Amino acid sequence: MRLWLLPVLACALAQAGAPARAADAPPGASSCTGCHARTTIADSVIPRIAGRKADVIATAMVAYRSGAWPSSVMGRIAKGFDDRQTAAIAAWFAVQPE
Amino acid sequence: MATRRRFLKGAAALGFAPAIASAQGTGAGRVVVIGGGFGGATAARTLKALEPRLDVILVERDAVYTSCPYSNGVLAAVREISQQQFRYDGLKRAGVTIAQTSATAVDASARTVTLADGDRLSWDRLVISPGIDINWTVLPGYDEAAARKMPHAWKAGAQTVLLRQQLQAMDDGGLVVMSAPANPYRCPPGPYERACLIAYWMKIWKPKSKLLLLDAKDAFSKQRLFQNARAREYPGMVEWVPLSKGGAVTSVDPATLTFFTDFGRHKAAVANVIPPQKAGAIAALAGVADRTGWCPVEPVAFESTLRPGIHVLGDAAVMGAMPKSAFAANAQAKVCAAAIVDLLAGRTPVDPTLINTCYSLVAPDYGISVAGVYRPDKGVLAEVPGAGGVSPLDVVGGYRGQEALYADSWFRTITAETFG
Ligand SMILES: Cc1cc2nc3c(=O)[nH]c(=O)nc-3n(C[C@H](O)[C@H](O)[C@H](O)COP(=O)(O)OP(=O)(O)OC[C@H]3O[C@@H](n4cnc5c(N)ncnc54)[C@H](O)[C@@H]3O)c2cc1C
Ligand code: HEC
Repeated sequence: MRLWLLPVLACALAQAGAPARAADAPPGASSCTGCHARTTIADSVIPRIAGRKADVIATAMVAYRSGAWPSSVMGRIAKGFDDRQTAAIAAWFAVQPE
Repeated sequence: MATRRRFLKGAAALGFAPAIASAQGTGAGRVVVIGGGFGGATAARTLKALEPRLDVILVERDAVYTSCPYSNGVLAAVREISQQQFRYDGLKRAGVTIAQTSATAVDASARTVTLADGDRLSWDRLVISPGIDINWTVLPGYDEAAARKMPHAWKAGAQTVLLRQQLQAMDDGGLVVMSAPANPYRCPPGPYERACLIAYWMKIWKPKSKLLLLDAKDAFSKQRLFQNARAREYPGMVEWVPLSKGGAVTSVDPATLTFFTDFGRHKAAVANVIPPQKAGAIAALAGVADRTGWCPVEPVAFESTLRPGIHVLGDAAVMGAMPKSAFAANAQAKVCAAAIVDLLAGRTPVDPTLINTCYSLVAPDYGISVAGVYRPDKGVLAEVPGAGGVSPLDVVGGYRGQEALYADSWFRTITAETFG
């Protein structure tokens, strides 16, 4: 039921260009959307993360945190979140409209 | 009786049910937000997105918002003021009621806001995000008339345009003098970004000119990055005078464009005074500002520690370790909106985590940044140890150019999230 409803919700939110649904968002997630847009921003060079697979997001965050992946700002941000917090944020973005 | 009539008229005039019927009627409640900047507009939009049954009213004095972030680019003539401007149609489309007027008083116990025409709105929760006002009483010589000669341009709009015109009219070889205040103030790296971008512009258009930055501090945000960039990009053009070398401005004379310090005087061709500031005036009227002029809040829902039921966001609030930035105001607003939805539904909000990032442009293609992650600790928002920090000092290739591109994407993203 919930899964079936999601695409509908997704469309509605995307059309409204709504800010993050922060109510059910885990701590920290609502700050990410200041850079990682919820809607399409023309020619943005900051990658979209909404709707990406949770393990892809979490893997990136862990790699930024350790420095295994080079980054400009994500290393400094990812260091503020432990594995559990990172996993919760990744899971939340994974179900956000792409 | 007269009061009550006005009260009802006010609600009707704005096109909703009488204010007095607020929370009980819909089961969700009414939130009034004062100030439609990065904090207030984000809060209003997020509240409506999270709980569509909420009555959300945004009280904003201006029809058009002019963004300070990136306004230093207007001074450097790499942007136009129109690129800084945003309207409230996106919020209207999202279901937010816009009351385009000033809030003039707040009654915390009756839970009402008075508007400029005398009408009143009631609320279940009030959000105040009025930004800053210039503190006109602390720098002798600097009043509203003086600001027309020596613009602050610390509230973007007419002041920004005035400063740009003055720069363009200056003779090549003229001295630009800026002054920066002691902490706390809006946008800690802002004065240094401005000095660099004016220097960038002078290098092209007024190559014989110089800039003097009189500072009431000895240390500032992203200091080494700025100093390295200044030495490399603008050698001999920008002089920074810290507090310990006589940088603190003690008075100004608008008639002669002169800055006075304990060590001497500096006469400018163009004068930019970044004056001491305080929370927007409505904060003091609402009783949420303390003797410092700023508003203490708790670190979970940003509710005033002086007046329960009133939340304060952005520059006006004392947010522990978080600086006064648009990024921070937007991040706080999203956390606050979620917490208000919880509180109105009888739930306890969980401890939040927030991020701040301030990008600065040293030149249009040279960006640097400072980031931090924040959580409540012992009653205040504290920086998470080990996280955050500034861009590296030594980089290769196109690193600074890439950060400038990220800064531009950030600006377009955050303004889209805030204004739609
Ligand atoms: C030159 C400069 C550069 C900057 N660059 C950056 C940057 O690169 N990145 C960054 O993150 N931040 C930057 N900032 C800081 C940023 O502008 C502020 O931190 C941000 O605007 C704070 O948001 P706010 O909601 O607290 O206040 P504001 O954005 O100032 O919004 C307040 C709003 O409230 C309204 N208002 C006030 N009182 C009333 C009333 N009584 N009734 C009705 N309406 C009222 C005002 O009209 C205004 O629209 C910069 C600032 C300056 C000056
Ligand atoms: C200040 C802007 C900013 C904020 C805030 C921010 N990011 Fe990023 N993010 C970036 C940038 C820029 C990159 C590209 C890597 C770099 O240079 O840091 C990126 C890359 C990423 C990537 C890799 C995406 C890809 O396709 O390669 C992920 C995942 C990510 N961020 C997740 C997050 C999460 C989760 C948060 C919130 C906890 C967050 N980001 C907050 C700017 C930001």
